[in-house]
Amino acid sequence: MPVNLVDLGVIYGITERNGVVDVDLTFTAMGCPASDFILEDVRERLLREDGVNEVRINVVWDPPWTAGRITQAGRDALEAWGLAV
Amino acid sequence: MPSSAEFAETIKSGELIESPREMTPEYLKELKHTLIVSGDTELISAPAYYLAAKRAPSINAFMTGIAIIQDELAHAHIAYHILEELGEEQEKLIFSRDPKSFRYPYAFDVPLDSWTELVVANGFYDQAGFCLLGDIHDKCSYGPWKRGLNKVMLEENFHLRNGRTWMKRISAAGGAAKDELQRAVDWMFPLSVEWFGLPDDKKMHSTQLEYRLKGLTNDQLRQWWLSTVVPYCEQIGVAVPAHKATRDGNDVWELDYPFPCEFDAEAKRWDFKQPITWDDVLARWRARGPRNAEMVAMFQEEFHNFRNTHRKES
Repeated sequence: MPVNLVDLGVIYGITERNGVVDVDLTFTAMGCPASDFILEDVRERLLREDGVNEVRINVVWDPPWTAGRITQAGRDALEAWGLAV
Repeated sequence: MPSSAEFAETIKSGELIESPREMTPEYLKELKHTLIVSGDTELISAPAYYLAAKRAPSINAFMTGIAIIQDELAHAHIAYHILEELGEEQEKLIFSRDPKSFRYPYAFDVPLDSWTELVVANGFYDQAGFCLLGDIHDKCSYGPWKRGLNKVMLEENFHLRNGRTWMKRISAAGGAAKDELQRAVDWMFPLSVEWFGLPDDKKMHSTQLEYRLKGLTNDQLRQWWLSTVVPYCEQIGVAVPAHKATRDGNDVWELDYPFPCEFDAEAKRWDFKQPITWDDVLARWRARGPRNAEMVAMFQEEFHNFRNTHRKES
């Protein structure tokens, strides 16, 4: 994807305590075919940060994602690839 | 229609060709041939992947497999659609050709029998597709195809990610799962190396390069593939029969087995002690492999069944 998860608006929350990071995230659709490796990417990327020992990901569906959650930077990136947003 | 000399000048200048009016008949013929190989490869990957995706270990994994198959069909459509604009009939190309006349890499004729083999195909075969199409996307002199590949490249990247993510996960699981992964890599790695065709020293002249339909030679493409696949496999703890060496100050990837060599498609086993000639390889490719007829029938039979029913009703 030409857009990162934050600009896509699927990261709902992130907190860190004693090296443990909790992430609330959602997907753009329940049948998202990329869900498996998005979870893996998030976990892997956070574990690369100094002081992060554990990553706990909580997949949430409420509130549901809509295209309204895409940031302006995200819209620009998607439009540059010819995708309608 | 331009003269041969005018056309050669256009190609040399780096300009894009935009319509059949701007081509010589020789260029049109070579362009069609290249597009047929590309369309056939994308099309046949759909039944090949489907037969293995049915064995997905979860609903989520199955959906990923199905999403990939949908992409591949759309990619095939791009190539066949361009062929139609060049005067071919899409329906004939897909539904009326003899299975043996399809021009996709031999690797797809060897059955993918498990989810593990499917994800190695995503990691290896889609990487081969990524190299070949990436080169065309970068260098192709035919504008409509070059632009059509924008979408294709993004999606191939997704397939590759599926392959790599799963290969890593299966390798990390260890035990019987990892053994199964290693067995898949053992037969699929050399088939992918073969994918790029004759080595440059056996292929004296490339019309595709001359017409800028592609930019890299077979060996350059093969090296590109090796330079991404070998380090990745090493990183996730999977053994592959190739290593990095230095020649004239440059990094090159060398194979640890005679290339080409004997392959038993039924047993999915290579005999590294049995070197063969490229004539032997070409004969094996022409004869096609175990699953060719079955896969082509998967889309041709239903089409003709539907056609027959439809005719009776009207």
